[in-house]
Amino acid sequence: MKQEGLSFFTDTYLTILGLVIFFLFFIGVVVWVNRKNVRDYYNSMQSMPLNDGELSYERK
Amino acid sequence: MNTPSNLIEKIFYDDDIVKKFTLATMIWALAAFLFGLIAALQLAYWPMNGNLEWITFGRLRPLHTNAAIFAFGGNAIFAGIYHSSQRLLKTRLFSDVLSKIHFWGWQLIIVAAAITLPLGYSHGKEYAELEWPIDIAIAAIWVVFAVNFFMTIRQRREKHLYVALWFYIATIITVAVLHIVNSIEIPVSFMKSYPIYAGIQDALVQWWYGHNAVAFFLTTPFLGLMYYYVPKAANRPVYSYRLSIVHFWSLVFLYIWAGPHHLLYTSLPEWAQTLGMIFSLMLWAPSWGGMINGLLTLKGSWHLLRTEPLIKFFVAGVTFYGMATFEGPLLSIKSVSALGHYTDWIIGHVHSGALGWNGFMTFGMIYYLVPRLWRTELYSKKLLENHFWIGLTGILFYYISMVTAGLTQGMMWRAINKDGTLTYPDFIETVVRIVPLYWIRALGGALFLVGFSMMCYNIYKTIQLAPADQKPEAQVVTRSGFDEISKSSHRNLEGMGLAFSILAFLAIAVGSIVEIYPTLSIHKYISADKIQEPYTPLEIAGRDIYIKEGCYVCHSQQIRPIVSEVLRYGKASTIEESMYDHPFQWGSKRTGPDLSREGKKYPNLWHYTHMMDPRSVTQKSIMPNYPWLAEKDTDFLILRKKLSVMKTVGVPYENELVANADIHAQKQALEITADLEKNGAPKGLEKKEIIALIAYLQALGQKGKMP
Repeated sequence: MKQEGLSFFTDTYLTILGLVIFFLFFIGVVVWVNRKNVRDYYNSMQSMPLNDGELSYERK
Repeated sequence: MNTPSNLIEKIFYDDDIVKKFTLATMIWALAAFLFGLIAALQLAYWPMNGNLEWITFGRLRPLHTNAAIFAFGGNAIFAGIYHSSQRLLKTRLFSDVLSKIHFWGWQLIIVAAAITLPLGYSHGKEYAELEWPIDIAIAAIWVVFAVNFFMTIRQRREKHLYVALWFYIATIITVAVLHIVNSIEIPVSFMKSYPIYAGIQDALVQWWYGHNAVAFFLTTPFLGLMYYYVPKAANRPVYSYRLSIVHFWSLVFLYIWAGPHHLLYTSLPEWAQTLGMIFSLMLWAPSWGGMINGLLTLKGSWHLLRTEPLIKFFVAGVTFYGMATFEGPLLSIKSVSALGHYTDWIIGHVHSGALGWNGFMTFGMIYYLVPRLWRTELYSKKLLENHFWIGLTGILFYYISMVTAGLTQGMMWRAINKDGTLTYPDFIETVVRIVPLYWIRALGGALFLVGFSMMCYNIYKTIQLAPADQKPEAQVVTRSGFDEISKSSHRNLEGMGLAFSILAFLAIAVGSIVEIYPTLSIHKYISADKIQEPYTPLEIAGRDIYIKEGCYVCHSQQIRPIVSEVLRYGKASTIEESMYDHPFQWGSKRTGPDLSREGKKYPNLWHYTHMMDPRSVTQKSIMPNYPWLAEKDTDFLILRKKLSVMKTVGVPYENELVANADIHAQKQALEITADLEKNGAPKGLEKKEIIALIAYLQALGQKGKMP
């Protein structure tokens, strides 16, 4: 039964390729966001939506 | 670009276009919700189509989904993107003319869809039903949007691109790629075309498109909006900017692979199914990372729920995002999919995302935007509060009833007695059991609509009471972020937007290529001894009626290799059986039974009687009557052109058959009519659509050369 199931499982290299590409990519992103000296940069980035001076209005 | 950074400039944002898109969102939302409610009532009570072909379920359902996704969702994201991008980039939109073309072009496309879908002009591919002239218009307007957006980025005064903009960029690029690749088709006539893909190719491309329409039309742009409007409403920055970056890249990279989870246990090659399942499971992580990031942004601001009730919509919306993205990977596990696929569970899942996530995020955004755009305050917070609770109750009714219906029906389909026979061999038994739940679903939809009506009134009064003087106010802006670059690096970093866009494109290209490329050479997967006979000309005519009436909306043509399914419908479907299907018609829902081996199961007269009144052969059937099929004539002459296009896309028709397609079809029609008349059907049907449809239905599963 197991063998029967596995016989349909062709082209496994594509599955493995997909996984490896993503894994390397993910590690890359994690390393990149945690690189040195970025704390200030991220602090300024995250406050960006709040700096556009948009007000709330009251009905006249 | 040479302006020094200390220069203070006064500019005007283009809020007029944001107002337009906001109002369009409201109008189309009403249409989409109303179509949905009528469709829901039709499933509970079949005569609700009023015997009108234009609003019969098979045509209404595509109208509802297209209206919800592209009209309601589309206008909402355009409003949000145009509003937030100007402020994040500190510049007016690139071109007022392009903005206007974008707006009116999109509304025109929606109107065209609203006319052609009820008339039955359809590709027969879910969420991509619109015919080729409209497909071209969509591509053109999308390019206008892209040019307007990227040129706005180019002339920005803020060097750094906030994460919301990343999500917008990924959306624009990916939707363009998806739409164009999935819409490659060859026209037969002004409103008819056939896709170049067939069978498993078409299935894979379609669900690569279909799933990523959810991912890149209903998820990434709304996440961008979340990263902008939730911090705005809570007046505090996003919980973790680092997390938002990991969220973005993981999500964009992973989502594109997940499409095949719509095709588990089908005849799609196993490796593609496995990829689809594994990548869907991996999506759990970034999706929940994003949800947590959104919710924790409100940490310390929960008291605002009392004074700013619109935040409730964001909290519920993000929570529904978390729920739907938890359930999605769960449903992608093959054994769970075996139970849930083709049932109403999927419908429930989709609506927790569409109503809860897209709906509530949009409502929150509009409640935030309208008072600011019209420089007033919201007419009534009390009404907003009522809208929220009534809408939430509606979604819960909808979701719970559909999951219950799905599980009930799924369990009934697979129930097997000790002697190895099906416990519920009659499909209709499993339908009748869940009809009460269809009523509850309709009630849920009605509540959602009631809540939305309150919103319409609230927004109307807000705008009505706004000050008459709406002259635009100047914004004071300075350029920022450009200095640091000239100090530390060279000018080419100016092109960060471009570099970023290319990276995002690469992230989605990897998955697309690895998945789609191998199936382009379909012959690799086909055994020569199982090659099929192509459909006859009359069967092609019947197939097009099948597509026109949207039969695929309720009937699948794909038997999975699952014991109960093989017992009910016959041997599992093979790759070869759909190798000439342009487009494939595997379907995704079984409101009625699977049809892939329907051919020769019943006599012609059964089909005639069934289409005229399904209840005369299947008591309590919820399928509508199709009397117009016996009234309308089949267009025989166009079959020459149809077969010639089919031949172009690779179906091996003889030249003689193509040249005389109409004659062959008429001959076959006479044979079927003679048989019908012999058995007591009315005379004079030979030219009618019903005959072509019967020819097609009788051919299903009968085209194999094997014994």
